[in-house]
Amino acid sequence: MQADINWLDDPEVFRKGQIPAHSDHQFYKDYDEAQNDKSSFEQSLNGEWQFCFSSNPMVRPQGFFAEDFDSSNFDTIKVPGHIELAGYDKIHYINTLYPWEGHIYRRPAYTLGADETGKGMFSQAEDNRVGSYRKKFILPPEFYDKNVRVRFDGVEKAMYVWLNGHFLGYAEDSFTPSEFDLTPFIKKGENLLAVEVFKHSTASFLEDQDFFRFFGIFRDVTLLAQPQTHVEDLLIRPTVTDDFKDGLLDVHCHLSSSNIDAVVNVIVKDSEGTVLFQTKQQAAEKIKVNGIRFKQIHLWSNKTPYLYQLIVEISKADGTVLEIVPYHFGFRRIEIKNKVILFNGKRFIINGVNRHEWNARSGRVITAVDMEKDISIIEKNNINAVRTCHYPDQKLWYRLCDQHGIYVMAENNLESHGSWQKSGEIEPSYNVPGSLPKWRDVVLDRAKNNYELLKNHPSIVFWSLGNESYAGDNIAAMNKYYKEVDTSRLVHYEGVVRNRKYESVISDVESRMYASPEEIIEYLQNKPQKPFLLCEYMHDMGNSLGGMKSYMDLLEQFPMYHGGFIWDFIDQALLVKDELTGREVLRYGGDFDDRPSDYDFSGDGLLFADRTEKPAMQEVKYYYGKYK
Amino acid sequence: MENTNKKLKIIYGDATLGIAGNQFHYIFNYARGGPESLVINGKEWLYREAKPTFWRAATDNDKGNGFVKKSIQWLGTDMFIDTASIAVRINEKPIAFPKPPVNNQYSDAEYADKVEIVYVYQTLTKPSTKVSVSYAIVPGGTITVKVHYYGNNELPELPVFGMRFIIPTKADGYEYEGLSGETYPDRMAGGGFGTYQIKGLPVTPYLVPQDCGVHMNTNWVKVIRSTTKNNADNSHDQFGIKICSLDKPFAFSCLPYTAEELENATHVEELPLPRRTVLSILGKVRGVGGIDSWGRDVEKQYHIPAGQDIDFSFSIVKA
Repeated sequence: MQADINWLDDPEVFRKGQIPAHSDHQFYKDYDEAQNDKSSFEQSLNGEWQFCFSSNPMVRPQGFFAEDFDSSNFDTIKVPGHIELAGYDKIHYINTLYPWEGHIYRRPAYTLGADETGKGMFSQAEDNRVGSYRKKFILPPEFYDKNVRVRFDGVEKAMYVWLNGHFLGYAEDSFTPSEFDLTPFIKKGENLLAVEVFKHSTASFLEDQDFFRFFGIFRDVTLLAQPQTHVEDLLIRPTVTDDFKDGLLDVHCHLSSSNIDAVVNVIVKDSEGTVLFQTKQQAAEKIKVNGIRFKQIHLWSNKTPYLYQLIVEISKADGTVLEIVPYHFGFRRIEIKNKVILFNGKRFIINGVNRHEWNARSGRVITAVDMEKDISIIEKNNINAVRTCHYPDQKLWYRLCDQHGIYVMAENNLESHGSWQKSGEIEPSYNVPGSLPKWRDVVLDRAKNNYELLKNHPSIVFWSLGNESYAGDNIAAMNKYYKEVDTSRLVHYEGVVRNRKYESVISDVESRMYASPEEIIEYLQNKPQKPFLLCEYMHDMGNSLGGMKSYMDLLEQFPMYHGGFIWDFIDQALLVKDELTGREVLRYGGDFDDRPSDYDFSGDGLLFADRTEKPAMQEVKYYYGKYK
Repeated sequence: MENTNKKLKIIYGDATLGIAGNQFHYIFNYARGGPESLVINGKEWLYREAKPTFWRAATDNDKGNGFVKKSIQWLGTDMFIDTASIAVRINEKPIAFPKPPVNNQYSDAEYADKVEIVYVYQTLTKPSTKVSVSYAIVPGGTITVKVHYYGNNELPELPVFGMRFIIPTKADGYEYEGLSGETYPDRMAGGGFGTYQIKGLPVTPYLVPQDCGVHMNTNWVKVIRSTTKNNADNSHDQFGIKICSLDKPFAFSCLPYTAEELENATHVEELPLPRRTVLSILGKVRGVGGIDSWGRDVEKQYHIPAGQDIDFSFSIVKA
């Protein structure tokens, strides 16, 4: 396979050479490693990388991936990090409009005609910045004779990857991991990983999130070694009996490079470590244990986030452990009965927030410390639910939500409001993904990446198809996909409100954003067909969040009203040094000569960008506590 | 000279009315349209005359829903206002306005049990309406301030209505009895009632500076300072003033900036160095809203209709 820059222009090319999406389980060499959450099968490639910035594809250093390429004039850059924050490209904040607004005229390929292929739209574009990364690494001796992969947890927005001069593949979908097999080209000793990252591709039409428009390798890069027999994918499907007393568990493992001499031991423990179930099977490509029954289970919920532990242990016939895969799971049930959402049999109330990943110093590059702080603020203020607006978060976030009982609306990486919201008007003439066949597979792939990665998290109660992307056949296909693969969760999408034609085939709930209390009452008093929730409400921009009572009162009046997610958790603003005083100050859109911009419109958090609480938080704490 | 007869001493000046007592001395200016000096225990509490206030620095929601454009007249009259008339009452009886030469009838030994001075302001709105502010002083030095806004249906809704005291130096902090945190009429359920001490004059660091720091349902607020602008005053001991509610609680904010100063900044770092204290005692506050920031109005019950009269009162006492 040869890298082809024209892929940037083609909505039908979004992944090449990538390992199929799979569950986010950790894997360890032995129980000690699992206990300490430190896997010798992993080696971080974060840190200093060689880097070359190019203002457009035409002037990029082609051939930079070759081992004999002279990279002596390359800079160094810290990975993970945004290229803009490293000082190479202008920081830019804009809400709905595409970031090239007023600079370059673009229409998504095929939206205005079958022959409008978009050729050259990104591959030959003056505004398509390029980051060429090189990383030399020594293969750890423990990785010798093993299959070796590299995993990129997040790269905006399109990347090509090479190892030792050999092309490995291409990836889009910036917010889910991209994994490539290095085994055929890996060498003992020094290796060269090369990554070419483009700021824009057809993915830019789908990733028009209302946030700072960054590019680059912004999440971890990890080298992975695989034991002889390895759990490639794990499906944990816990269900609850109708009386909510007993639990049933299915565990499916997909093993790679299966060694027939290996034995798979599936163990289930309670939270104290007492073994509740155990079964041993000969290794096979597919291991299925179905219908394991647990009596008198502890249900998982916000109040009692009880987690059971599943351990998949793979060992050789002689008992030598090859791999330990631990995973915490929970029994809970979400369903709609009589048009009311029930959680563990009781009416479900969402005291939620929308949360962007944010750190005022590093943008969307956030650490475990940031996440843990967010969790503690969420718990302290009686918030019980988070919508991952508008992309999948780092994997750790979902684990933390499992542990702390935070309900998650897991949203796909999809927001295309620039293609149909025009200065407040609905004008979908070039909407994507719409119903265009050529834009179908790319969004289905995003749905699949989200599902396959996160399917085992008890915290996730909704899949959300995306945000503000209008509605058409392709989003309906995403809904259908989720319905086929997962009956244990609900599907959410707000955009159907803009195009009622798709009402019955997209979204289990009536979801709106910023509806007034009167509008909600109007819906709920006029033969409502679906339970109602607000995926965004209480727009906390600046000094706001007045009138929350009128929303909370609806919980008392209408069983079909389920609350909502406040917009939003944290201001997105950047700490920079003031030119005049030298003090660190917070800056927002337009402060970097970035035009057009939506200025301070990203400052809508319950927290300031430095994670201190805004005064309005006490109101949230009060009302969310009242309806906890 | 120590005032021993437990009465107020009145100084009928040519441009001002001076009122003195034990450890206080107040001067009400006629031409400048308000109290010009409130000296308590030797410390000056006014930088410029106290006046009614009608404006708050626009919040993002005020801008987004167009309220600022509808109510823009109030910004003008917040900055500039006409004094329509001034009246003086001594021992509950009106007197002829004591301007020169009427004041030649008085002496250096004029005393009373009660002095009241009433300023009537004419707003620079179209149409214009009136606000009267009465200051009644008794021998202990307590000032009772009664504020009345004359409603006019033809005027736009108000962002806020109250009295603004610009204090010469930056306060060390303030203490109040009321609700915790920053509260507004439509965002005060989470505020716990109690006595709170605030260090410094915090300006809530919203990305774009805007109205902030309002405390609803307050019974009293005490402002604490330790500096003056008096070059001969070298003391750094703390001293205070206390504003107490009378018939009903008030709202207040205590910030280092006027609404106009906040309004002008696009970032926190553009705000001037904090030098003074702006104490606003508010009879009415408009809610902040929250449905969205691009059009939805604040809920009706949290508006301040211009057509209704507004009355509120408070007292200023030594702390």
